[in-house]
Amino acid sequence: MSAAMVNAAGNLWVNRLRRDFRASLLLLALLSLAPLFVTTPYSLGILIISIYFALLALGWNLLAGFTGQFSLAPAAFAMLGAYTTALLDYHLQAPLAIGIPAAIVSCAVLGWLLGKVVLRLKGPYLSLTTLSFAEIARVVIGNSIEFTRGDQGLNVPTLFESRVGYYYLFLGVLLATLVGLYLLMKSRTGRFWLAIRDDATGAESRGIAVVRYKTLAFALSCAICGLAGSLYGTFSQLVSPELGLLMQTGLIIAMVVIGGMGTLTGPIVGALLVYLTSEWLRDFGNIQMIVFSAAVILFARFLRTGLWGLASGRYRSKAGSAKP
Amino acid sequence: MSLLRTEGLQKHFGGISAVDDCSIAVEPGEILGLIGPNGSGKTSLLNILSGFLAPDAGSVWLGDEAVTGMTPVQLANRGLLRMFQMTRVFTRISAVDNMLTAGLARGLSEAEAERRCETLLDELTLSQVRYLDAGALSGGQKKLLEFGMCFIAPPKIALLDEPFAAVHPVMREAMAGFIRRRHGEGQTFILVSHDMPIIVDLCPRSVCMNAGRVIAQGATRTVLESPAVIEAYLGSSVGSSAHV
Repeated sequence: MSAAMVNAAGNLWVNRLRRDFRASLLLLALLSLAPLFVTTPYSLGILIISIYFALLALGWNLLAGFTGQFSLAPAAFAMLGAYTTALLDYHLQAPLAIGIPAAIVSCAVLGWLLGKVVLRLKGPYLSLTTLSFAEIARVVIGNSIEFTRGDQGLNVPTLFESRVGYYYLFLGVLLATLVGLYLLMKSRTGRFWLAIRDDATGAESRGIAVVRYKTLAFALSCAICGLAGSLYGTFSQLVSPELGLLMQTGLIIAMVVIGGMGTLTGPIVGALLVYLTSEWLRDFGNIQMIVFSAAVILFARFLRTGLWGLASGRYRSKAGSAKP
Repeated sequence: MSLLRTEGLQKHFGGISAVDDCSIAVEPGEILGLIGPNGSGKTSLLNILSGFLAPDAGSVWLGDEAVTGMTPVQLANRGLLRMFQMTRVFTRISAVDNMLTAGLARGLSEAEAERRCETLLDELTLSQVRYLDAGALSGGQKKLLEFGMCFIAPPKIALLDEPFAAVHPVMREAMAGFIRRRHGEGQTFILVSHDMPIIVDLCPRSVCMNAGRVIAQGATRTVLESPAVIEAYLGSSVGSSAHV
């Protein structure tokens, strides 16, 4: 780390965050031009799914990157969000105007409850508990054939026939999520989350209500994942327990680690890069997870701040100051 | 009325008595030294006072309010703040951000926290490293930063657990100077330390613990000359002629 860097006010949290936010807005501006160049429905569909993963990555990053809680349930909450909307339609014929907000609320409540359960857990214990929750949720949905139609899945009505319409809907939701996260991270809530991530005991001793802020992060993160899942369900018009597979969570983790944990731009970059690469790798057989797992190992070992960290000049190989 | 007092505190871990029938009192504006050999129960007592441990029996009073069993957050909101032996700064944000976060946590506005932060950074000679992530600071600088975080909104009472341990003498003097200045303004402290010259210098009154029990309390010099204290530190075979 150079002396110039350490003396720079750019290292202040608000300045780092502002730079990060501007970069993410620029990225979204570029993405908004994509339909001008990407015209085939298939390619546009891939971009829409990339943005779906960007939403999940941002949601998971709020927990793991900003608050230090390594949950293994983001895909499960996407599945729960998708099923909330689908089940409301299937059983009650509730319109999407109710089904989508209901997905957000139900996932926020479930996330808040899960946050309460794992409150005193750290590291592998927290991860294993959330993994257990994710697997239980997936198996219960898969086996409740009377209620959910099990592995056959459920059909969901669509919001638009147009893929371009869906593309801009997903992009708009991504923008709104990004702006919301930026405002939160800029506020005292964001600062308290960072403090909890770095040292929960230290944060508590300063008067930060660790319990409240941890559960808030869980609820918000799960709400974002639930919203993403719900929208994805209306896009694909079919939801199934496969949405909650652990492999999906693995992809989300890979996206955030490769893009840059604890940043706003990193998860979006990671989601685009990983999903587009995974589509390209389909031609070479089922090797995506091998490639991404190897990439995660390499990034965790040699480039802990991810691609956004590298691009923003904050890459420090040894300094303890930038560990993810 | 004492600012902080304990009555008959007890804490056991299995068969071991970490704190045993501990009754102490801290008067407003005083620096109370808390000494004792390793394992004597000092840190356990601080953990109870700061809410990180619930006592098995006994009570803690902050002024006329019973605060026994309150959480660290509840106690911090009542102005009882604690510094740990192992520093607990927020390693991946800058020194300035650490202090701002601490100020906001104590209810200061952002503008007020920034103003106080500037003053404290200068006083603690941390201005040069203000933009460094706290994880990259030296051990002594981290301790000074913790002082800043603790005093950005001055507490009613500050519990300092071994602030001088493993710190360069220059830094140690800077910390001692900081404590003296704050004491001059009426700040109340409990200071845990093995550094007897500093205890003698800063603390007119001290409490000595051994095996979880208070074995002596009173004027610091008197406590240090107490046969029970000498025996606790040096063992019974040394005899009463030895001095701590």
